Amino acid sequence: MPAYLLGVDVGGTFTDFVAYDKDTRTIDVWKNLTTPDDPTAGILAGLGRIAEPSAIDNLRVGTTVATNAILERKGARVAYVTTAGFRDIPFLQRGHREHHYDRTWSRIEPLVARRHCFEITERLLSTGEVYTPLDEASVRDVAAAIRAAGDIEAIAVNLLFSYVNPVHERRVRDILREELPDVPVSISFDVLPKWKEFERASTTIADAYIKPILQRYLRDMEQRFRDLGVRAETAMIKSNGGEMTPAAAAEHPIHLTISGPTGGIVAGRAVAQELDCDHVVTLDMGGTSTDCSTIVQHEIAFTTNFEIAFGLPIQIPMLDIRTIGAGGGSIAWIDKGGMLRVGPHSAGANPGPACYGRGGTAPTVTDANVVLGRINPENFLGGTMALASDRAEAAIAGIAGPLGLSVLATADAIIRIVNTNMVGALRTVLIERGLDPRDFSLMAFGGAGPLHAAEVISEAGIPTAVVPIHPGQFSALGFTLADARVDLERTIDMTSQRFDAARATEVLQHLVASGRRDLERQGYHTDLVVQRVLELRYLGQNYELEVPIAFDEFTPANCARLWADFHAKHDARFGFAIPNEVIEMTTIKCTVFATTEKPRFPSLGERPPPVPARRKVAFGEDVIDTPVYDRATLGAGFALTGPALVEEAASVTVIGPAQQLTVSPTGHLVIGAAGEET
Amino acid sequence: MNTNASMDLVTMNVIENTMISACREMGITLMKTSYSTIFNEALDFTCGIASPIGEMLAVAEFCPAQIGGMPLLIRSCLEEIPLSEIEPGDVIVHNDPYRGGLHTPEHTLFCPVYVDDELVAFTVAIGHVAEVGGMVPGGFPSEATEIFHEGIRVPPVKIKKRGEDVAEVWKLWLANVRTPRYNYGDMRAMIAGVEQGAERLGEIVRKYGIDVFKRTCADLMDYAEARMRAEIADIPDGRYDFVDYMDNDGVSDSEIRIEAHCHVRGERIVVDFTGSTPQVAGPINATLGVAWSATYNAILHLTDPSIPKNSGCFRPIKVIAPRGSIVNVDYPAPEVGGNTEAHPRIAGTVIGALAQADPARGMAAEGGTHLNFVFGGQDVKNNEYFACYDIEVVGWGARPFADGNNATDSINGNCRVIPVEVFETRYPWLTEEYSLRADSGGAGQYRGGLGTSKTWRCLDAEITCTQLTDRHDHQAWGLEGGGPGAAGQTLYQAADGTEWQTMVEAFNKRSTSKWSNVRIRSGERIRLLTPGGGGWGEPAARDPARVTADVDDGFISAAVAARDYGAGGPDGGHR
Repeated sequence: MPAYLLGVDVGGTFTDFVAYDKDTRTIDVWKNLTTPDDPTAGILAGLGRIAEPSAIDNLRVGTTVATNAILERKGARVAYVTTAGFRDIPFLQRGHREHHYDRTWSRIEPLVARRHCFEITERLLSTGEVYTPLDEASVRDVAAAIRAAGDIEAIAVNLLFSYVNPVHERRVRDILREELPDVPVSISFDVLPKWKEFERASTTIADAYIKPILQRYLRDMEQRFRDLGVRAETAMIKSNGGEMTPAAAAEHPIHLTISGPTGGIVAGRAVAQELDCDHVVTLDMGGTSTDCSTIVQHEIAFTTNFEIAFGLPIQIPMLDIRTIGAGGGSIAWIDKGGMLRVGPHSAGANPGPACYGRGGTAPTVTDANVVLGRINPENFLGGTMALASDRAEAAIAGIAGPLGLSVLATADAIIRIVNTNMVGALRTVLIERGLDPRDFSLMAFGGAGPLHAAEVISEAGIPTAVVPIHPGQFSALGFTLADARVDLERTIDMTSQRFDAARATEVLQHLVASGRRDLERQGYHTDLVVQRVLELRYLGQNYELEVPIAFDEFTPANCARLWADFHAKHDARFGFAIPNEVIEMTTIKCTVFATTEKPRFPSLGERPPPVPARRKVAFGEDVIDTPVYDRATLGAGFALTGPALVEEAASVTVIGPAQQLTVSPTGHLVIGAAGEET
Repeated sequence: MNTNASMDLVTMNVIENTMISACREMGITLMKTSYSTIFNEALDFTCGIASPIGEMLAVAEFCPAQIGGMPLLIRSCLEEIPLSEIEPGDVIVHNDPYRGGLHTPEHTLFCPVYVDDELVAFTVAIGHVAEVGGMVPGGFPSEATEIFHEGIRVPPVKIKKRGEDVAEVWKLWLANVRTPRYNYGDMRAMIAGVEQGAERLGEIVRKYGIDVFKRTCADLMDYAEARMRAEIADIPDGRYDFVDYMDNDGVSDSEIRIEAHCHVRGERIVVDFTGSTPQVAGPINATLGVAWSATYNAILHLTDPSIPKNSGCFRPIKVIAPRGSIVNVDYPAPEVGGNTEAHPRIAGTVIGALAQADPARGMAAEGGTHLNFVFGGQDVKNNEYFACYDIEVVGWGARPFADGNNATDSINGNCRVIPVEVFETRYPWLTEEYSLRADSGGAGQYRGGLGTSKTWRCLDAEITCTQLTDRHDHQAWGLEGGGPGAAGQTLYQAADGTEWQTMVEAFNKRSTSKWSNVRIRSGERIRLLTPGGGGWGEPAARDPARVTADVDDGFISAAVAARDYGAGGPDGGHR
């Protein structure tokens, strides 16, 4: 019997499947429509392709259930419990506006109603010292008020300075559990032991908000998998790109916030390692949006500054993904000044681009690609969906008139502008963070990424693009490569002048032990790998640089090395250092991995010379008779000089006139400037 | 639409976005490396790119107060340091309000960008440095009567020359401020920002060529101008007048009148402030740059937010600000509060005037102050002097389609409030409460946004406090029948007291809103109540369900619901 490693990515439109057969080392990919009202039904339908469900050895699922519950406001009715004097923190937020001059903007409502915010008597100082002892009677009064409200489904507790000293928060949790045993309680120390009360409140409330819905969803999904005959333990993909058990996810569902898109980055790292690319920037372009992220020296970029919407921060450590509203469905339009713009409005999947023939009339990026000859109307989604090129032309003609351009020139302008938007997103993850595009390769995937990669690298100054295998199911492929992973961090407040080595050591060792315990509880015991990182800054600054460390105990010698490392790092990142300045340590971070068995991408081997079809494709002002290859016919080591197109079921890769394509031993397409080593 | 047919719109789009991205990159460096909380937590700075003659070409969204003044600033500098004396590697610093600046704390740095030995642009960073010397720690001497009280004036000088620090300038500057370590860090951050921006912009210009870059910048400004003209053309022609007042100037009792007359003719608009009060003795006068900035700010709020922000969009707007008046102060009067307090009042009068032209574009008045609570003292933990500029947020005005936003920074800033946990880690205060002020929003079909309440208790220290705020007497106005927002208040309580007093009552100060150098000691409390926003439309027209929800959530009290909306009678019904 075969043994499958299975990744399932439940997206907005499609549910993607990648099955790696461990015995034959073959990869099978497929997709079917997502069933938004009951996402598990779509998974079960797709699992029908596997004859023997008991042959599934590992099953990893990425889900948008948590994100959708927040964005669609379908979560639980939450009570917020906090220090006396501070129940309005979720409403006060930080006081700034999303845009400067937008009179129509309204502040976002938090995920809790003000009538459900409660205060208890207690107070800690910034040192963690108790200023006002916890009045337990006030907690029981709040419990009674929550009970009286009648319909509270989850509780979030966030007390001032609990990240320094969780004693009150833990006691409040215990009392609430005692008083209200059926209501789940999230405490901020467990969710995000980090300073800044609003950001911590928002994250803790979000955890409580999605907890009941996720608990039901996960329990139901596991049961239905078992009923189908799946014997493997299901694992859920976390926002940090690692996996966790459904039980752990039910306890802290906030870790599922950006589950799906992480897979592409994990897969991107594996492909980068295979191809020996040190630095990779990912471009995951779908129908409505594009995600960008970086992998520097094989390290995936993380953030703790994520906001799911402006004013709704969710600041647990997660993969740092920048999303812009530009995709194949983005609509081109003319603004009041006569300038052509693309997006952020999208025709989505329904009605979709004009060429879908489902009633859409607005010109989209996909329509432009059809007009330019880059998408073959007869071979879209493997020929399963015929496109109407006349409708694409008509839609673009509608804006070509006012612009005074030909239809072809308008289509080309649409592509240039959407590419500029993507280059802008790449700049935010590269240049604006001090990374030089010239050191990077672009990993392009998603249905539309391969169409744009070649032109995006020219515009962005990135030397190489890689279109990996299975770009249309790349996230699900990444799930098959995921490790179990826990990221923990805690705020501390010390400086190089007044450094409490004993306390720092205690916090560090506690984090490491917690991370190990977390994984062990989930059943991962072997090969645990620990990484430790400190966040440092000059005393007075408000943003930190990360400095990795390899020790478990702070000593005068390794501290001296640490401060020197920081000065050097500051100079490298910002172009200056301030010698002898006091350095502040704000956060200790720790990551614990349990590495899992990974697929190895099968080798292609050589193949007979492929025979291309030909069609007319526009590149700028030139319309060129261009060879079109079927990706399945390309063997390892095959190379060509553009222009050319490479078609596969889920996508088309464009190679520009002055570019060169090489096929890697396992089938990744590597594109660079002609005449240069790629 | 009469955009120039020969414009390459696509190249324009590409270059504009690339320049904005470079400005953002500068801003990120400033944010990440600066020291003052007003800089790195509140984000009170702006980064932009200007042409060699001082036209603003692109700007990133950080603090809006500063952008309208940028062209005047650079032109004033170039009058003193001619282009012929500027060399690659130079960085110029400047903060003088009487040389085009906005107020002394606002420091402008700019760095020339050379491509093929030709000066093609300047990168510009304008940032609020918390400590500038002068009468009070923290830069807002609300009882000042001349510019010399307001801290060190820096005329345009090179702080770096050909890539090397000019040590004399650093020494002179740092010797005149209370927190030299912090000032050093902030200045280094701004220098790093403009230098990084210059490098990036150089790459952009080299990529497209100087000629294409220059032509595109000219096109970009023409395009922005065309967009603004189209917007103004949509406003009905006519003359629209509006008046608002500031409470006082901190050194005398009289209210200060700001009067705007907006003349809309076709695609142009003239805003005439004739009739406004002559300049006053205290520090709330606005410089001409502030009057420009505030007028532009108001008009940008009433027009399409997607118009590119460059000098072109200001061309159809003309400002008439009489010399020697509250909106165009003459040397050597003080003016530090002009940029924070007069600016929102000026912008508000322009918005109020234009709301008459087209009520659908209207927005009732916002709280219109940044509270400007500044303090300094000895940091025992780190053994150095600290100074802090704390900004608090206000209720915004209701709109013809929605309630006003609660707790939002006034129109000329877009600053973030310092988190309680950051604040207490840095300064010897205990925050006893931070909350929304129920009932502070003006009544209306759409309710004004709520102001905030914050109470601090001094912990084991002596802190020298100063405040320069407004709207303690003159509330934020409503529109179309909407009521005014609640006035602000600043209150003091003695260590063993139970009674709250104003600064006039407790310390015999002239003004409740503008007072300097009050020493607050252990156990004493300060409470800041910030103003609410005005309402829009008759309160009777408010959806009764929203009144009920407001009462249930405590945004308004039952008593006020009954008074303003006739709600909450014995049957819980509405009138």
